[in-house]
Amino acid sequence: MPELKDNPFRQRIAEVFSEDGEGNMTLDDFLDMFSVLSEMAPRDLKAYYAFKIYDFNNDDFICKSDLEKTLNKLTRNELTEDEVRMVCEKVIDEADLDNDGRLSLEDFQHMIVRAPDFLSTFHIRI
Amino acid sequence: MSTVSESLVGSSRSLSAAKRHKSIRKNSRRIYSAYQEQGSSDDEDKQDERVDSNDPEEMFQNIQYQKEIIANIRTRPWPMRRKLKVLKQAREIVLRYEGRLTRTRGYQTAGADLLKKVSRVLYNVVVLFIPWEVRIKKIESHFGSGVASYFIFLRWLFGINIVLTIMTGAFIVLPELLAGAPFGTTRSKTIPKEHLASAQDLDTIWSLGGYLQYSVLFYGYYGRLRKIGSAGYRLPLAYFLVGMAVFAYSFIILLRKMAKNSRLSLASASDENFTFCWRVFCAWDYLIGNPEAAESKGAAIVNNIREAIVEEQEKKKDTSLAVLISLRILANILVLLSLAGSIYIIYFVVDRSQKLEQEKPELTLWEKNEVSVVVSLITMIAPSAFELVAQLEMYHPRTSLRFQLARVLVLYLGNLYSLIIALFDKVNSMSSAVPVSPGNWSDSSSFLATISQPEVDSFSTLVSDISVSEHRNSTIATIATVLVVRNSSVSSSGSVFNQTALFEKNTRSQQDPCWETYVGQEMLKLSIIDMIFTVASILLIDFIRGLVVRYLSDCCCWDLESKFPEYGEFKIAENVLHLIYNQGMIWMGAFFSPCLPAFNVLKLIGLMYLRSWAVLTCNVPHQQVFRASRSNNFYLAMLLFMLFLCMLPTIVAIVRYRPSQHCGPFSGQEKIYDIISETVANDFPLWFSKVMSYVTSPVVVLPALLLLFMLIYYLQAIARSLKFTNNQLRMQLQTERTEDKKKVFQMAAARLQAPEAAVDKKPDEQESDITSQEASIHTPSPRRNGSVTNFNSPVRRGNSIRTITQSASRADLNRGRGAGSVRSPTVTILPKHRPEHVPNRKTIRSIHPVEAAGIITAQSYGGRRGPTTRYVIVNEHDPRKKLLRSATRVPRHYLMEEPAEILELYPRNFKRYPPRTAHRQPHPHRPQPSQPHLSEEEEEEDKGKGRRRLSLGKTHRPRSLSDLHQPAHFYIGDRGESHASMAKDRHTARGRCGAQEEDEEEEDVEMDWGGLESHSQSQTSLRGADSLLVRSRRHIHSPGRHCQSPARTRHMEAYVKPKTRPKLETPLTESDSASLASSSDQQNSSTDQYIQVIHNKEHYLKSSARQGKLGKKKSKTSFDLNVTESNDLVCSNV
Repeated sequence: MPELKDNPFRQRIAEVFSEDGEGNMTLDDFLDMFSVLSEMAPRDLKAYYAFKIYDFNNDDFICKSDLEKTLNKLTRNELTEDEVRMVCEKVIDEADLDNDGRLSLEDFQHMIVRAPDFLSTFHIRI
Repeated sequence: MSTVSESLVGSSRSLSAAKRHKSIRKNSRRIYSAYQEQGSSDDEDKQDERVDSNDPEEMFQNIQYQKEIIANIRTRPWPMRRKLKVLKQAREIVLRYEGRLTRTRGYQTAGADLLKKVSRVLYNVVVLFIPWEVRIKKIESHFGSGVASYFIFLRWLFGINIVLTIMTGAFIVLPELLAGAPFGTTRSKTIPKEHLASAQDLDTIWSLGGYLQYSVLFYGYYGRLRKIGSAGYRLPLAYFLVGMAVFAYSFIILLRKMAKNSRLSLASASDENFTFCWRVFCAWDYLIGNPEAAESKGAAIVNNIREAIVEEQEKKKDTSLAVLISLRILANILVLLSLAGSIYIIYFVVDRSQKLEQEKPELTLWEKNEVSVVVSLITMIAPSAFELVAQLEMYHPRTSLRFQLARVLVLYLGNLYSLIIALFDKVNSMSSAVPVSPGNWSDSSSFLATISQPEVDSFSTLVSDISVSEHRNSTIATIATVLVVRNSSVSSSGSVFNQTALFEKNTRSQQDPCWETYVGQEMLKLSIIDMIFTVASILLIDFIRGLVVRYLSDCCCWDLESKFPEYGEFKIAENVLHLIYNQGMIWMGAFFSPCLPAFNVLKLIGLMYLRSWAVLTCNVPHQQVFRASRSNNFYLAMLLFMLFLCMLPTIVAIVRYRPSQHCGPFSGQEKIYDIISETVANDFPLWFSKVMSYVTSPVVVLPALLLLFMLIYYLQAIARSLKFTNNQLRMQLQTERTEDKKKVFQMAAARLQAPEAAVDKKPDEQESDITSQEASIHTPSPRRNGSVTNFNSPVRRGNSIRTITQSASRADLNRGRGAGSVRSPTVTILPKHRPEHVPNRKTIRSIHPVEAAGIITAQSYGGRRGPTTRYVIVNEHDPRKKLLRSATRVPRHYLMEEPAEILELYPRNFKRYPPRTAHRQPHPHRPQPSQPHLSEEEEEEDKGKGRRRLSLGKTHRPRSLSDLHQPAHFYIGDRGESHASMAKDRHTARGRCGAQEEDEEEEDVEMDWGGLESHSQSQTSLRGADSLLVRSRRHIHSPGRHCQSPARTRHMEAYVKPKTRPKLETPLTESDSASLASSSDQQNSSTDQYIQVIHNKEHYLKSSARQGKLGKKKSKTSFDLNVTESNDLVCSNV
């Protein structure tokens, strides 16, 4: 899959969708992944898995460290630390509805379903 | 995970499911068990396996439920294996039981299954035929969804054009070709003799003259016979209807698409902005599957994020505005000038071409095509010019992109419009039979008018024409010029031909006054030239440039790839605009040239291949990501706009202009739309025309219009209210969530606190000195936290809203005074503490140190008046809830602290509090249920307060449950407030009156502070030791309590409903009177306390503790306590 090969989150995707959490996928997992990433999948489902993908430490919250990892993967470590920190703060500031300093699934969903191009970008065509 | 997932799986969906689910759960345990053991959230009843549900109803429900599972299985975030398992199980159950239920149902399902399979196969086949799917996917993987959206849009337009082509082709072109009079039989279908020679020349063909002009391509070719062929196909009618249907279809399809899109995206529904979130979480385009693209995407993301950071930083500072503004003004002027220039040029060119046509016998290729060439050139060059200009403006890239788009759109529209207006101008002069002199013209026209009468009525056109012209020839000599026009049409008849030869030259210019054809020709020409230019620009600008950059970069002194020429960017927005423009041309010309959609289909196909090839070979993605993907209605909105504006000229032409006399399906009619009335009159039964005449009469039309307007208004109102409700719900959701978190957080914090006996440290909270102070003294308990929360919230609300009126300096002053002068260990903290909060919220507490003694009386008045005014205001301030919402986020943190301090300050109160608080905590979330407990509690506990309670009860009893619970709260809140107020008393008690004067302005503040106020007043009145004053104080007090209620309701409105508000109205006044009536014994006791306190200030704690104990047994104590405390404070202050 060229799409997956170039995706900065490929490792995470594999982990999230694999049953053992290690990234070893069975056929079922594979099917699962593409059912989520297909165009037909509902938005909430996509949001849920997107959340899981970005939740690096699997604690059901996107906290600062997750955000930093996300950013670094996304930008290939091109941002300075200050920038990363600032962006993290901003992100949490924007999306954190309950002011607990991290993004819960609800926060994330609330934010992501409003994104204009989440649906169009969070899918893979095969 | 399962619980999370369960709750997650689309709350909306599961709503309906949940309902059914509940009803079914009991029935269908056995079957449900499979589902449950999978880990779904309801892990309650592990059920009896043997319950064999023989009840058909049960079974039916079961099956329904299972079906639901099957239908929604895709939307559940389960691993595939589980999905499969559940699915299989559900299917099995459905199969087994459904068959058992009834035989027919079994067959039905079998049939449905088959149908589903077939439709699936069909769908798969259809997918195979979706054009360019692979191509678009390839582009997508190279450039991401942005560029792909252009192609998807193109494909969508292609689809529309196919439908339009089918419509025109099937209903106009084919009938005409098959059943219409063949080429050469009638005058309008024959090439004039003098043109026959050049009809096949390339340049004639090129300018759409010759054979093309007299073909189905254009309006003029279509016959005017009302019925053609053996079946009697009504071509003119069909022509008209199809012309309208083209627009109607386009409108409908566009609007439907837009509606679908807006349903898909919630973005438009909310004005919330998650700039950074989106930039982080939605940045990666999962479609990208190409290393190079991934690289550039990564770079783009970095850019994007940096840009956002810079933007964020720059929000604070302003740049030199003067220069910027002048630059922008200059830029706009430039743009306007170029727009005006382009419009003028087009008009000029059309004008010139007209003149040239009249003067010169032979036109060069350039002269024939200059109009469309000029238009295309302008559409090509101007956008780049605009881009240059936009650089002057130094807008943010996104804004400048928007400006650019708007300008280009205006330019395109201006071009089309000036073109069409110029054409119509020409048409005007053409259709007025080209006068030799004005006088003559009027003459001839009148003559024509008289002639046309018999013409229409009498015989077949040709014959009548000839006869009429002969008649004219013989009779009137002055009309020779008119004859010319006529003659051209009658050129076949030999008798007149000789005479017309004299006017040969004139004739040529007006040989065919078929202006519809002319307009159609012009549009088609424009479309063709536009296509040529597009192709040329792709080849030249993109391809050649790409080649040059690619191969010459080695032998050049600078890096061609990264410096000057670079590779061409694929500018999505502009390309999309160009597509829209193109479609606009089609719509504009479709009526006059039925084959235009067909041509457009070809053009779009060509464009698709060329563009995709060019994009893949020689373009790089646009640096500035234009976020208008499929879910965005931006393109569509522009297209709709274009459609509307392009429809206008056609409509105007149909309504205003008279169709040409000798060509086209509507020839001989006064107006084009007459075809409808004619058809109605001739081909429909009499009653229908009657009905039609009724329907179209103003009697019906006007009311219908009015009705429409009303409907529009109504729908709009509904939409607005829905929006409002939406907002409210969202707010509610938010508060709910916040409260929820708060509660959990509190509990956790309380648990933490207890062992450590240290104050919880919320990061953005108070200064350390205070916390330490508190920490040393207090011994927190979780329950207290809860209790304090409640009373706290109103107070802080008051603070937050207060902002407007007060001055910081005063607050400081007071604070300083409070902290400095009153040093009793218990009290000091509060005053100090409070002010500290205030700055946190960026608000300044209203502290009006009005010390005049005389004001005391005024206060009492104010107090009396206070509640009512406040009350009214509550309603007014509803809208402000928005403000509050923002405020509510902050306060949570206080709650953690306040408890501590209050604990410490009023130990005795706590004794009473614990039980109550337990009930209170749940309140914010579920006010209703907590209510009964509370009231009961109160009853038991403060029997002593019986009287007071009584009054409360009296006033509130008649009301509904929801209301009832509020009084209870106020009651508590009141007490709580009294604590709070004590702290502030020094500042506020006297300040109150001052604040009251400002009632009108800051009513909500008042509401919150009502309680405090009353207390303060009570104190003052106490001091006065005047019975009257006492009375007033009592009076005030209860209002205070009720004042609280607005505050509370407001507080709750966020998560309850605003309904409770209005109900309060009556109780308020009632309570007023009731409180007035209530006896003064409380008063007395309080005075007692007051004295007592004065005496042993030092033993405050002790006494308070004692009182607390008393409070349990004795009556009134609870209430008095507050008073005494406040008194205490006052005393210390004094």
